[in-house]
Amino acid sequence: MIVAETKPLDEIWRSIAPYSRVLILGCGTCMTVCGAGGEREVSFLADALRMSQARGGEHDHSLLEYTVKRQCDAEFLETFVDRSREVDAILSLGCGVGVQVVADRFPDLPVLPGNNTYFMGASSEWGVWDERCAACGDCRLADTAGVCPITRCTKGILNGPCAGAKNGKCEANKEADCAWILIYQRLERLGQLDKMRRYYPPRNFRVIPRPRRIVNKTQVSTGGNDGQVSV
Amino acid sequence: MQAEAPVGRSSSYDHSLVPPCQSACPLHMEIREYIDLISQGRIMEALHVIRDGNPFPSICAHVCTHPCEDACRRSQVDKPVAIRALKRFAVEFGGDRMIELEANTTHAERVAIVGSGPAGLAAAYYLRKLGYPTTIFEANPELGGMLRVGIPQYRLPRSVLDAEVQRLIQIGVEIRSNTRVASLDLLFEMGYKAVFVTVGAHQSLRMGIEGEESPGVVDGATFLREVNLGLRPSVGNRVAVVGGGNVAIDAAHTALRLGAQEVKVLYRRGRAEMPADGSEIEQALEEGVEILFLVAPSRIKRVDGCLQVICTRFELGEADGSGRRRPVPIENSDFELDFDTLVSAIGQAPQIPQDFRLRIGKGSTIQIDPVTLLTDRPGVFAGGDAVTGPATVTQALAAGRQAAVRIDEYLQHRYPALPKETRAALTTPLLPRTIELVRRVNRLDPPVLPAQDRTGGFAPVELIYDWKTAIDEARRCLRCGAGAEILFQDKCATCLNCLRVCPYEVPQLDASGTLQIPADQCLACGVCVAECPAKAIMLRKPYDRRQVTEELEHALRSALQTSSKPLLVGFCCQYGLFGTGSLAGLWKAASASIWIVPVLCVAKVEEEHLLRAFEMGAEGVFIAGCGAQCARENTGQWVARRIEKVRRALATLGIESERLQALPTDGEEASTVQAVQEFADRVGRLCLTAALKREVRK
Repeated sequence: MIVAETKPLDEIWRSIAPYSRVLILGCGTCMTVCGAGGEREVSFLADALRMSQARGGEHDHSLLEYTVKRQCDAEFLETFVDRSREVDAILSLGCGVGVQVVADRFPDLPVLPGNNTYFMGASSEWGVWDERCAACGDCRLADTAGVCPITRCTKGILNGPCAGAKNGKCEANKEADCAWILIYQRLERLGQLDKMRRYYPPRNFRVIPRPRRIVNKTQVSTGGNDGQVSV
Repeated sequence: MQAEAPVGRSSSYDHSLVPPCQSACPLHMEIREYIDLISQGRIMEALHVIRDGNPFPSICAHVCTHPCEDACRRSQVDKPVAIRALKRFAVEFGGDRMIELEANTTHAERVAIVGSGPAGLAAAYYLRKLGYPTTIFEANPELGGMLRVGIPQYRLPRSVLDAEVQRLIQIGVEIRSNTRVASLDLLFEMGYKAVFVTVGAHQSLRMGIEGEESPGVVDGATFLREVNLGLRPSVGNRVAVVGGGNVAIDAAHTALRLGAQEVKVLYRRGRAEMPADGSEIEQALEEGVEILFLVAPSRIKRVDGCLQVICTRFELGEADGSGRRRPVPIENSDFELDFDTLVSAIGQAPQIPQDFRLRIGKGSTIQIDPVTLLTDRPGVFAGGDAVTGPATVTQALAAGRQAAVRIDEYLQHRYPALPKETRAALTTPLLPRTIELVRRVNRLDPPVLPAQDRTGGFAPVELIYDWKTAIDEARRCLRCGAGAEILFQDKCATCLNCLRVCPYEVPQLDASGTLQIPADQCLACGVCVAECPAKAIMLRKPYDRRQVTEELEHALRSALQTSSKPLLVGFCCQYGLFGTGSLAGLWKAASASIWIVPVLCVAKVEEEHLLRAFEMGAEGVFIAGCGAQCARENTGQWVARRIEKVRRALATLGIESERLQALPTDGEEASTVQAVQEFADRVGRLCLTAALKREVRK
């Protein structure tokens, strides 16, 4: 899941300052789960902005609230096209993906991000999220017993551990478990310690061309309609 | 997905399940609702709910056998909620005596009611409400049937019964007392279009032993009738009561009050099999009644004005048809006891006059159609003990109400309507894990008269709760069936917040990965409602008739009209302390104008509510819970978390975080008032500083 956090209120406040009618747009999927942009956060933000407005008295924004199921698919955005005509800007509480899809769909409106998108992660307990995947495009989790050294090792080394772990914790971050110790322990449990002894050559991240694209479509000739399938 | 207030936010919908107490009540009263109102100190509203479902709540408040308490799921945790005693509290403190009834005659068809027991009175009440001219015929000089002649005064004070009868007269019920109906034909000749026969079960069953006819042997119904109609039969010093039901125990109590020195109850089964109400048995033992179990008389001889009773001992054998173990006499176990009076109270049956020409069934009861309540004669309905055999007051009231409906249908030529219950009933017990996580709270029973003060007269034994005890007791209700539900399943992102925050570990993932909040386990604390990021969860029945939001708007609107001092808004738990309005004193005392927004548990206060208060001009906002009386251990944790979040927002907007506080409350009035006062002073200083800063900037 994508994890994000709502931007500080004053920053949001500054970004919407030029626009008098703003639609606060929530996202019903990852942002709802990580508590950064679900329906509740949308109304919390709207209330906070209204309150600030009522007490400051300087601005006069009208704030609309709306939450779609998922901002990263343009079809969901069709449900509020009518409303979008009544506003001067959209403040998206989606992740970075959502903001861009919304911007793409509404070319004539400024679309402002309300969240800082951080990482792909998992919730270890209520209200706590940890990064788990860097989307490196070259998954090695089979070799590392399901513990990702790219994200969970502060140094991201492929042939760990380094010599800096103390009491199982990382030398750079005393709160974080050393990923390589976790890898060792799991491999030991699985009886696969030979994988520790192997050397993994460094990867060249530079060659990853951005933006990446996955084409998951079968190339089918679209010529006739005679029921013939040719591949 | 809609972002405006969803339809479910309005306070009118009801998705709740019928709780076990309500299902168990013959009158199907909204018990959960009125208990909750009592727990908030809204006694008059509670009484209103009670009166909606019960024609004579003051009578039930005294004598109901409370099947609701037997069904109460709180008994799985500790002990059931004292529902009947709470109803009595609501009746006494809610101003039941002031309530006046109204009824207009809208129909011409006259209805006769034969018998003025609870079934007859209830039928008269509802028939008048439906607009029928109604006449009650009663053989005794006064109305009430068993309520008058069967139930002793110390259980049901006659003033209570008289008040209800008086109310019936007020709404125009015609009363013909001292009038024994000999023939139903006569009633039809008099112009009555329908007759409701509810003559009760006043005929005592015979023991069938030698010497039963001796002077000094009296049956329970006659004995109680004589005492209740004002006679004081002399019972002598030694009294035996035969039987184990409520009549037997009442007779024992009554004999003591008539001056008997030694009262023995002879019962042929054991304590566990005794059908009498447990608390009444306890009270009898306290008053000095001796109960001989597994003993029954087998022969009575009258010698020199004294009764020689030969008793036989019994042992318990196989279970019989009623599920109780059958008593088997032990051979050669006879022994002799001497008494002055023997009261036989081993059961009663109806005695229906032959001339009524009604079909009589098992146990001398009238046979009726169970749906229409019609007997085999057209236009003649029957109900109450005359149909069921000896039963409870509440069952009789229910029969009377049902009869009124059926008579109305009959007279208006309508097809009998089947009961419409749109809500499903909750029947399942609490799961062991839920039980484990519910906080134990001792049951508080109302005080009773000390044993030595009881036997001197016929004063009511049970006293009334005081205000605080009643509210604390009402708060024990688990609110079965009114819990949370995922109302907008399409919004649910399955984020698992509800599953993780529930103090009772109720929400579960089903096999298809959908979150379910089992309605039979949820105890309606509302934590998940506030914590759901998708606003998909709602309580099945918003208890607060007005939601927090509405209350807040109301408070703020009123505040804006009146206030000149800095405005403080307090979200206060409406249960317990604040329910009694003890914070009202603050209005004058504090150096700020303080508006209280009542909430049902501070865990239901959402961040938005706090922001909204500030937006509407509050200078300070505080949250005060009910302290240690709370139904849950960790309510404060949720409050703290939400305050933290709002404070962060406030800080970025330049508002001091001290303006939002949770007040430590120990449930004591004085310390709470002091805490609020201190908070008001602090906010006052902040306001002053802010004003100065503004001046300086200018």
